[in-house]
Amino acid sequence: MVNLEDLKSHVARLLEKGEVSYVLGFQKGTATFMAVPAFIAEAEDAGDLVWDPTCVHNLSLYLTAERKIQATKKQTAGKPIGIVCKGCDSRSVVVLLQESYLKRENVHIIGVSCEGNGVLDEKKLKRFLKGKTPLNAEFDGADHYLIATRDGDVKVPAKEVLADRCLECKDPFPAENNVVFGERVSGGRLPPFTSLDAMEAAAVGDKWNFWKEKLDSCLRCYACRSVCPMCYCEECVVDSITFMVTPTTSPDQKANRVRWIERSNSTSENFGYHLVRAIHLAGRCIDCGECERVCPVHIPVRLLNKKMEKEAFNMFSYEPGRDVNQPSLVSSFRDEDPDGHIL
Amino acid sequence: MKTPTVTFYNAMEKILKKASLQEWVAKLDSHDVYMPAFVDDNWNYVVIDDAKAAGLDFAKTIHSPKNIVFPQREVMFTFEQEKGGAPVIAQTIPDPRPFVVFGVRSCDAKGLTLTDIVFSKEYEDPYYWARRNKGVFVGLSCNEPPDRTCFCVSTGGSPHGEDGLDIQMTELADSYYVKSFTDKGKRIVELGGSLFSAAAAKDKNELEKVHAASMTHQQRPINNLAGAPAKLKDMFTAPFWDEKSKACIQCGICTFLCPTCHCFDMNDEVSSSAPLKGERVRTWDTCQFPDFTMHSSGHNPRPDNASRLRQRVCHKFQYFFENHGVHQCTGCGRCVAKCPVGIDIVAAVNGANDYAE
Repeated sequence: MVNLEDLKSHVARLLEKGEVSYVLGFQKGTATFMAVPAFIAEAEDAGDLVWDPTCVHNLSLYLTAERKIQATKKQTAGKPIGIVCKGCDSRSVVVLLQESYLKRENVHIIGVSCEGNGVLDEKKLKRFLKGKTPLNAEFDGADHYLIATRDGDVKVPAKEVLADRCLECKDPFPAENNVVFGERVSGGRLPPFTSLDAMEAAAVGDKWNFWKEKLDSCLRCYACRSVCPMCYCEECVVDSITFMVTPTTSPDQKANRVRWIERSNSTSENFGYHLVRAIHLAGRCIDCGECERVCPVHIPVRLLNKKMEKEAFNMFSYEPGRDVNQPSLVSSFRDEDPDGHIL
Repeated sequence: MKTPTVTFYNAMEKILKKASLQEWVAKLDSHDVYMPAFVDDNWNYVVIDDAKAAGLDFAKTIHSPKNIVFPQREVMFTFEQEKGGAPVIAQTIPDPRPFVVFGVRSCDAKGLTLTDIVFSKEYEDPYYWARRNKGVFVGLSCNEPPDRTCFCVSTGGSPHGEDGLDIQMTELADSYYVKSFTDKGKRIVELGGSLFSAAAAKDKNELEKVHAASMTHQQRPINNLAGAPAKLKDMFTAPFWDEKSKACIQCGICTFLCPTCHCFDMNDEVSSSAPLKGERVRTWDTCQFPDFTMHSSGHNPRPDNASRLRQRVCHKFQYFFENHGVHQCTGCGRCVAKCPVGIDIVAAVNGANDYAE
């Protein structure tokens, strides 16, 4: 069991001793039963922290946000930032370390084990509860959640409402950590890449129809990109600011800047956006599933990234985020690497 | 061009048996009929091609009907120029079939009256009104709040508000109480002919009871709505905004799902360079994207989360009120329910009202 009180006192102690500048964790939201990110800077606020099946967010996103703010303000990294990490979240911190985006000494990883379980998929829960409004969610042993509703508590089997990525997670434990709460229990309720089976078996035409239908509903709100800790580029190919303006830039040059992807939410532009994003995540995505969770129109974005993850695994036996000392996939070369894809 | 949104209080009041809804819809084939449908785990308005798909048992839709009158992408004109020739420009005013939208919630209908202001007060936008004037908006009173995040009453609205609707339907025991306020609304009811019967005094009693009951559901309050504009004006530089916006990831969900957000960008999409050919396109844009206010010099007057959240909250609860005498938030709750990181406009406005430096 993750003892929440231990976690709170650890965080309070870090802040009291001034070992970290602040701690990224989870707290109760004001509007719904889902937890929300917390930025704890004072020891006395450590009591606000929660750990429950609604702690879905991958907080490592905020490490990249902090680094960008430091870069803009031309500050150097100060004290380390504390961050509460599930297994997947810690692997994304590891990718950021592998890519030298962060330095290990600037992060204090407070691991929490999912203990063979994982976090909720809100959509699945909604379906399961058939109209009842969830008010609170707790772990209830290894295989169940206890969901409070206005009509009383409901004991929900975890396998019915666990996020897909949690069902496929082999190691729901933050191996890279400064401190860890909870036991290491192996996961893998489903074999890795199970969610790709249906897609891979489908005929090409059916795949096209599937993705066309899904991506045509894309609003280009970029929530999938904005929430992704690996999408840390200063300038994204879809933004209008991807154009260097200098005093000598003429109005004509500004007007005729190259736009790789138009703003129109048409089939071609939506495909352009999503495929560019998926390819840039190959060998980097650790399957935290945040992109799919946040999509307001429920595009199964995760499948695209999962497919890239599988390609990287099959071709290079590469698993991102497993080891800080392993070089990142795209910056390393081994003699035995296949080169069939090189034209 | 613009049809004023006036509520006529000589409303036509009728009763429709629930079982007759589909029969009524079947008689509306002169119109495209939008109905809430459950697609990909979301309710959304879709054009139905079979009246058997008509039904009004639905939760909150992911999009408001704003999308129908102000689509995400609108082509404004096409252009073409042969080398050395004069450019040829052709305006592309949309000409949709007349349409009826069923199941419009009062918050979303009120939202339409607010986008009406934006697209007509200083400049009448022909693209918006070409669609808006073709639409008949049929409301469904919320006897129960469709979602936990609803707060229409707290923004001065009502679960059975009539603003922006042509017809309002209210679910009674086995029938709908159907009030039509506008001429086009009345025509749509008249197409139903004998399916409708006159509303009797007992129906009116039942309607009043149902409407009164709908007001008793607890919603999250906004404290001191009337004082919000002045309070927000005082807080422009307060560190409050840094605190509230820390978790913001800079996506566009809150504004793209909002029934009253209306900002857009315009770009020329060139499809051929010789001869030069293309379209000028208007697409949604949002104050929540960092590049929304980016100047071509590289300077960004809203450089951080704090200034962008402040813009969203102040636009809804200060600037719009100062400019048009009405708050721009109708309490639909979509931005609250769908924010990936739990940023909550109700908590933000209440926090601002309670804020003391």
